[in-house]
Amino acid sequence: MATTTDNAAQLIFAPNVLHNQALTSVKFLSFCFAGAVAGILGLENWLGFALFIASIVSTSFIIYAINCRGKPAKYLPGGLGELVNPGQDNIFTFILVWTLFYGIIHVYD
Amino acid sequence: MDRLSLYLDPQIRDWVLFPITLVMILVGILRHYVVILLQSPPKKLSRAATREQRALTRSQILRATSSNSPIPPAFYKSISQHLSEAYKAGTYLKDGPPKADAPSSAPNPLSDPAAMDGMMAGMKTQMVMMVPQMVIMGWINFFFQGFVLIKLPFPLTLGFKSMLQRGIDTPDMDVRWVSSLSWYFLNFFGLNGLYRLILGGDNGADSSRDMTASPFAAMGNAQPGQPQDFNKLFKAERDNLEFAEGLHNWVGENMDIKILRKYGKLAAL
Repeated sequence: MATTTDNAAQLIFAPNVLHNQALTSVKFLSFCFAGAVAGILGLENWLGFALFIASIVSTSFIIYAINCRGKPAKYLPGGLGELVNPGQDNIFTFILVWTLFYGIIHVYD
Repeated sequence: MDRLSLYLDPQIRDWVLFPITLVMILVGILRHYVVILLQSPPKKLSRAATREQRALTRSQILRATSSNSPIPPAFYKSISQHLSEAYKAGTYLKDGPPKADAPSSAPNPLSDPAAMDGMMAGMKTQMVMMVPQMVIMGWINFFFQGFVLIKLPFPLTLGFKSMLQRGIDTPDMDVRWVSSLSWYFLNFFGLNGLYRLILGGDNGADSSRDMTASPFAAMGNAQPGQPQDFNKLFKAERDNLEFAEGLHNWVGENMDIKILRKYGKLAAL
């Protein structure tokens, strides 16, 4: 164990950090809906991925502006990077939901 | 190429698409609860053994804030020196202070039954994870083979054709028309987020965890604490304590001067 301390780390209150992990479920739900939108609209190829990127940007922007009040580093340990990062699972979730809705609406009659 | 559209029977959607997804969700939840049930409760340690394990933590907690410490120097030094003496005399050791002539040895991890339990538990969970996936794949291959299920909204290279269109022998069909096995793969990767939402972060149904974890990781978790020789650790900890004592700096030091400066009663630096 290091004998030097990280003074900034001392000031962090662990239960609050855990609570802010609720951000991951917000992101998951927003990508589910984005996938549904992409499927329903029948977006193909790169248009669908463009919607994915647009949803990342808009979700992050809303959280940045409203929740973090312009200072993500204060609320998240990874700062801006963690806010924007969609997470490995969510990309596949988007593709799954997109394929599902695209299939239901456009492929089947 | 894209304008050509196959007409698929809606019954395929009702009887294949939804059931596969539903089954995978339910099996994932089942796996999670099976893993929970299979986990044996951690072995309870005796009071002396627990004290031995926690003794190190006490000094680590003390040291962690030493350069910005909330406790005044007199208290800090007294706790620090008390711990230091205790480590030297071996009062916290599980079997009492070491005898001068007895050699100290760490228990062998392979023969220590507690560590073996840890490894077994890890391997059991691995088996539980793998078996349902194999079963579902077999079920899908048996029942849902030989027809096109869905069209992917994005293109893929021809290399994927053999994997995603297994059982459909049409060399010219667009790779975007895929069989049920590929729907299985899509679900396999895509449902992790859903599991995280319903089962909480650390769930036993997460397939991304299966690929990174292994029995060796579980072994790594089970071992620390058991084969360690606490006597040696205590000796090392004494040095750390001394070092931290030198670094100690009370946050309340010169508090009277700081407050006076803050309110302007004393000339600023």
